[in-house]
Amino acid sequence: MMQFTHAAVTAPPLHPNGAHGLGLGLFLDVGAPRARPWPAGGFASTPPPLQTSSKISLGNLNSAGCMEQLLVHCANAIEANDATLTQQILWVLNNIAPADGDSNQRLTAAFLCALVTRASRTGACKAVTAAVAAAVESAALHVHRFTAVELASFVDLTPWHRFGYMAANAAILDAVEGFPVVHVVDLSTTHCMQIPTLIDMLASRAEGPPILRLTVADVASCSSAPPPVLDMSYDELGAKLVNFARSRNVSMDFRVVPTSPVDAFSSLVDQLRVQQLVLDGTEALVFNCHMLLHTVPDETAGSVSLAQSVSLRTMLLKSLRALEPALVVVAEEDADFTAGDVVGRLRAAFNFMWIPYDAVDTFLPKGSEQRRWYEAEVGWKVENVLAQEGVDRVERQEDRTRWGQRMRGAGFRPVAFGEEAAGEVRTMLNEHAAGWGMKREDDDLMLTWKGHNVVFASAWAPS
Amino acid sequence: MEVETSSERGVSSSAAAPPPQLPPPGPPAKKKRALPGMPDPDAEVIALSPKTLMATNRFVCEICSKGFQRDQNLQLHRRGHNLPWKLRQRSGKEVRKRVYVCPEPTCVHHDRSRALGDLTGIKKHFCRKHGEKKWKCEKCAKKYAVQSDWKAHAKTCGSREYRCDCGTLFSRRDSFITHRAFCDALAEDAKARAPPAEDGTSAAGAPLALPPPPQQAPLLAAPVPLQQLPPPPAPAPAPQQEDNQEREIVAAPDPVVQYTPPAPAQMMQSPPSVNGANVSASTSSVSANSQSLLGSMFAPSSVAQAPQYHPERAKPAPLCLATDASSSLFSAPASADRQQHLAPPPSPSPHMSATALLQKAAQMGATSSSSSFLRGLGLDVSSSSQASTSSGQPQQLHGHQGGAMQVPFSDGLQWPPRMEPEPAPMMSAGLGLALPYDSTGGPAGFPELIMGQSSMFSGKPATVDFLGLGMSPTGATASRGFSVFMQPMGGAVGMAGSGTGAAETFGAARGTQSKPWERNPSSSPIL
Repeated sequence: MMQFTHAAVTAPPLHPNGAHGLGLGLFLDVGAPRARPWPAGGFASTPPPLQTSSKISLGNLNSAGCMEQLLVHCANAIEANDATLTQQILWVLNNIAPADGDSNQRLTAAFLCALVTRASRTGACKAVTAAVAAAVESAALHVHRFTAVELASFVDLTPWHRFGYMAANAAILDAVEGFPVVHVVDLSTTHCMQIPTLIDMLASRAEGPPILRLTVADVASCSSAPPPVLDMSYDELGAKLVNFARSRNVSMDFRVVPTSPVDAFSSLVDQLRVQQLVLDGTEALVFNCHMLLHTVPDETAGSVSLAQSVSLRTMLLKSLRALEPALVVVAEEDADFTAGDVVGRLRAAFNFMWIPYDAVDTFLPKGSEQRRWYEAEVGWKVENVLAQEGVDRVERQEDRTRWGQRMRGAGFRPVAFGEEAAGEVRTMLNEHAAGWGMKREDDDLMLTWKGHNVVFASAWAPS
Repeated sequence: MEVETSSERGVSSSAAAPPPQLPPPGPPAKKKRALPGMPDPDAEVIALSPKTLMATNRFVCEICSKGFQRDQNLQLHRRGHNLPWKLRQRSGKEVRKRVYVCPEPTCVHHDRSRALGDLTGIKKHFCRKHGEKKWKCEKCAKKYAVQSDWKAHAKTCGSREYRCDCGTLFSRRDSFITHRAFCDALAEDAKARAPPAEDGTSAAGAPLALPPPPQQAPLLAAPVPLQQLPPPPAPAPAPQQEDNQEREIVAAPDPVVQYTPPAPAQMMQSPPSVNGANVSASTSSVSANSQSLLGSMFAPSSVAQAPQYHPERAKPAPLCLATDASSSLFSAPASADRQQHLAPPPSPSPHMSATALLQKAAQMGATSSSSSFLRGLGLDVSSSSQASTSSGQPQQLHGHQGGAMQVPFSDGLQWPPRMEPEPAPMMSAGLGLALPYDSTGGPAGFPELIMGQSSMFSGKPATVDFLGLGMSPTGATASRGFSVFMQPMGGAVGMAGSGTGAAETFGAARGTQSKPWERNPSSSPIL
């Protein structure tokens, strides 16, 4: 896939007072008062008569860079309530980015869906979607509901999750050495898929397995619960885990706490507070946070913060610190989707989300249903970033540096990952497509795809 | 997709055609072959017949009848017979690239634009896709049509691969372990291994597991009149055991497996009205619910933390009987005893003493699900509903799976019964019902998804008042009130349709109806 950066691309701007070739041989009359070359109402109707102008052979600028520019213009048009322009650009996008094309096209198609969804909620653009709806569908409809076994194989399609799992398990094992009881609070989106390997590692502990208590945060009942969606109750899931633990001679206790990022998991925190009152020092508390912390509103989610001065995210980290954990693992995507304006988020998302589309191309054939599930999830995320606002927008990723600042600000210090852990991760990555790699960044580990940062894993202890 | 006729590659003027695929990027592509399709527009397209493609040795020596795949090889062989031979030279002029199409008309590579560039490639493709699989791996019985594929497989087959009992192979240990933990095969294995005397209850549990299902059948008809409301189409067969399971973490989900056969059968038998189906689901679940409700109220010791399973079990049974007097549905003792094997972790000290919990309970008033229910029981219920979304979802009773009774919050908040209409999505989701009370949009239409008939609810006065609790049809309370009963009923709906007896469906069923106030949409399978 062609790699593109912001700076490299200077696509022709769409001037309102002139037609401009986009290198596609198309003309886009932007805001021109004359009659549009195609019927106003029909989106899926006949294409405009194509006029040849000086064809700007942009070569491979035709792909990613150009698409990004089109998307940006479309987003701007939506924000400006310019239904006409929105419709025009959506039409163009719809034609150059089929959902079954190459990775760039699929990426753009997903963004297209997200923009359509967004447009359907804003003033003048509502009419647009009636016409476009036939071509695009909301990403939310396609999210697959996984059985546990399906999810188990799904999370291993790419190292996206397994990377964090491995790093976390290694750090947890180190941190709970010597403790007879280990209490893991799982704040993750993948429904305990990490736990069996953790159990396995605890079972093989030199000093013998500890008693494992697992508390799982269940956010599935929230209005925007991030995928994957598990088609099984946590009760049953927990039963299986306990059963598995028993088969490894690990005593395990499982509980689920329904909670919501909207209030910074207060129900969970409250429960933990009460439990911590009776600790006798034999229990190590560990927070295992994978891709869920970013759903807690940060400062940019102004309206949902309880207090204007401090965001829920900050509050949550402070609460975690107050519980005196032995370790907090944070694995998150290294991207910043917190820009207040859609265009900013769009650029950020476009320059990150190409990774899953590109990666999936290397190992899953087009017709495969796992690929559909995978891309449906990515589409869900894109739609959430672009089309949702307020409480519903849960994909509020921040990058590694920012999270580091937050953790330090909350009273944590970083715990570096050992060489053994890093080595194991590398071995695991070797089993995946060649584009996956790993590097160290400060005390954290960073998963990379073709050199670009994807997911970071960090470990923190009270300072 | 049309083949570009012009020799110049580039986007044509037709807006409809997608741009040509870019060549794959440079390193580090891992053994990436060029993507099929979109060959050189100048190439000569050759279509061979299946016979020609599959022919192995087309060139035969006239003397010894030895066959060769290539003419060049035959010529070299002929030298050995002292026969005249001639090797064709590579033609001096520019070699025209050849591409081949697959003769199978339904194949995607039959199209000239999707031709493959290599004769061997198209042969292999045709053989693999459309040919007979003649090569079989001895170790795993996997069949291959192309010999080289078979050889490649044989190299890795069985070597250091992890094999789950269900037959799936894994090359990586962590994938294997993750799969194994959730695979049903483990349940079977555990069943075989589970020592019978873990605690005395297990033995009691197992045999009692079977009787209840038969009991359900006769009950199917009876409660029909009681169940006016259509149950949510939530989950699957036999929620009963799920119910029991959820209260404590169960070590061996054996009854789950055993329940499968009877439950769906019952479901099928039940009259078209889903009500009947629900009943069996509802029975145990309701009874379990009541047990748990009562348990939480009156037997706080049982409510304690994870480890304290044992005391809990005995108490709820009689209590359950007391409250469910009106309904003959509840085979309370049976359901109580149907508690399955309990996971026997050594018990860390409870986090809160029984007395403290009881005091808290009395002071807080309401338990999770239905204040109306408790009102009916004469307990004072302060209007808990407004408790705050922020206090989150009720964990009260669900906590049983870890045995962790949701400890009331020390800050004096009442147990946050999930009354709040605001988290309506959650509530309805937890209920598995699409109760359309003032939920703002709900979870993206999930209620409709789940229910498919939310209008039913809005239409009805929603006052199926089983226990004479005097529920009002409005607002959260009402829904909450009969949610206790709806939930279990609802739970069963999906069953009739879903044949899958796997634990997943059980889980889902259980999920929805185990604790109406706690479970989430994801636990109820989509029909």
